[in-house]
Amino acid sequence: MRLYLFGFASDDFLGRVVVTPDKRTVAQLADQLLAWGLAPGRGGSLTVRNETGDILDPAATIAEAGLGNGDIFKVERG
Amino acid sequence: MVLRRDDWLDLARKVDWTPRYVDERELFPEEISGRPWLAHEAWRDWNEAYRTTYREYVANQREKDAAVLGVRAALSKPRLFDDLDPGWVQLVKFHNGAVALAEYAGAVAELRMARFGRDSAWRTMATLGALDEIRHTQIPLLIGHDLLAYDGNFDWTHKAFHTNEWMIIAARHLFDDMFLAADAIDLAIQLNFVFETGFTNLQFMAMAAMADRAHHHLFEKTVASIQTDEARHAQIGHPVLQTLLENGSRERAQYLIDKMWWRCWRLFLALSGTAMEYLAPVSARTRSFKEFMSEWVTEQFMKNLAEFDLEKPWFWDLFIEELDYAHHSFQLGLYTYRTTLWFDVAMPDHAEREWLNEKYPQWEETYGPLWDELERRWETGGEAGTLSYGLPALCNLCQLPALFIRPGRNTACTIEMGGRRYLFCSEPCRWIFEQEKSRFADHNSVVDRIVTGEAPGKLTDLHRWMGLQAPVETGKDLRRGLDPWRLDPVPKR
Repeated sequence: MRLYLFGFASDDFLGRVVVTPDKRTVAQLADQLLAWGLAPGRGGSLTVRNETGDILDPAATIAEAGLGNGDIFKVERG
Repeated sequence: MVLRRDDWLDLARKVDWTPRYVDERELFPEEISGRPWLAHEAWRDWNEAYRTTYREYVANQREKDAAVLGVRAALSKPRLFDDLDPGWVQLVKFHNGAVALAEYAGAVAELRMARFGRDSAWRTMATLGALDEIRHTQIPLLIGHDLLAYDGNFDWTHKAFHTNEWMIIAARHLFDDMFLAADAIDLAIQLNFVFETGFTNLQFMAMAAMADRAHHHLFEKTVASIQTDEARHAQIGHPVLQTLLENGSRERAQYLIDKMWWRCWRLFLALSGTAMEYLAPVSARTRSFKEFMSEWVTEQFMKNLAEFDLEKPWFWDLFIEELDYAHHSFQLGLYTYRTTLWFDVAMPDHAEREWLNEKYPQWEETYGPLWDELERRWETGGEAGTLSYGLPALCNLCQLPALFIRPGRNTACTIEMGGRRYLFCSEPCRWIFEQEKSRFADHNSVVDRIVTGEAPGKLTDLHRWMGLQAPVETGKDLRRGLDPWRLDPVPKR
């Protein structure tokens, strides 16, 4: 199923809409968000959290991580 | 013998007829006159300091119009654009589009109070206020029309409010909430007390001071003249607020003030903050946006609250924190999404960056690397690399991009309601939404409309949907990508 999510990268200046199949992994979701930002190639480890601050398993699918339409996720660089 | 003014004015201002064949509640229904519904006895002492008569009003307004039109006539049309800084021209275009027809909506609001305000002195003042707001529409339309010969996008002075352009949707959402969809009491608190007493000094007097230094004397005269009207009819708010407080509605009054302060702050940081610090030439900047906000808006607002023994809004600390950052983040949004605007947007040059860092000591550290990256992209990949292509997350209350406050400091939040998840840029926006869910829940942001297919997802089609004829009308880099420190000053058209 395709979802739309609101992603906030710690080194970006605004939240961005990410439309993605929910079978993709959390790590792929983070990469997709960073590709839209101003520092896509910066590298380094990433931490992905949901709105309440829980760390999401990067290997889990988006669906397994509990993200649904309209949810927020945050990506912090290591 | 002609009566002296003071011999007849009180009687003339206080003509409150006693209804015979309807009762007072039918004449002034709560739905449109406002809550709490109070018998006229509670309103009979309503008064304000100006006590302007219609005769005085006509004489004063004639003089004010003559002053503005005199400057216009002195600067014959071929000279209207002479010596204007290119960034300043875009500032005027931005201001005109966002403000001219909002003033016309303000006339509708004043007319609602002219009919449904609860005391005749209030209704008289609102009648003059409606005439003011028509004037505030007509003068910018006239000046915008003059400028059409030099820049076709000045037709957005009239056109903007009739489009689906995203920033205009945000402005309409606020003004609908503030006054078009408000009863007379809410209107007096929200429009007159908060917006006009609190914020319009910033847009009109601060802009007038900057226009003087930017040598745009017609704009200076226009906005300063408009503010003299605003200062008068803004007085409607005080006695209405006083009556509410005397009749057990302190909580309601505090809510309306808190709500509208936050909503106005959102619009003003987007409109005034970015224009003052990224479009006005450095030589025209008398103070920073933060300094204007602190001295002209915040201090005055605090005095007004103290006068009525009201609390400062619960989100005050967040507002203070945002003063240093929010409009700078917003400018990056405007720049990278500039093709969705009707005016051109600037990347700050070296002198501007120095000025910004002087006024905001954390500016270079926070925003410098992001502008540096955009500059590198211009050099390596041209304009295409400097634009954002993904959709920004838009707040379901203020309708603006959720980009506050700064990189690494994200205040976005959500709520779930009726099977739909709503996004907000901040806690105050969510709080306002939660107080009046039924008022806001059915509105869709531009992004919601794209996601549901109501608006096109393809950028070229989206331009058309927003009323922007690409590439003629769509916003561009002010310097057309020419490195500002390789080509100084900015080329004139």
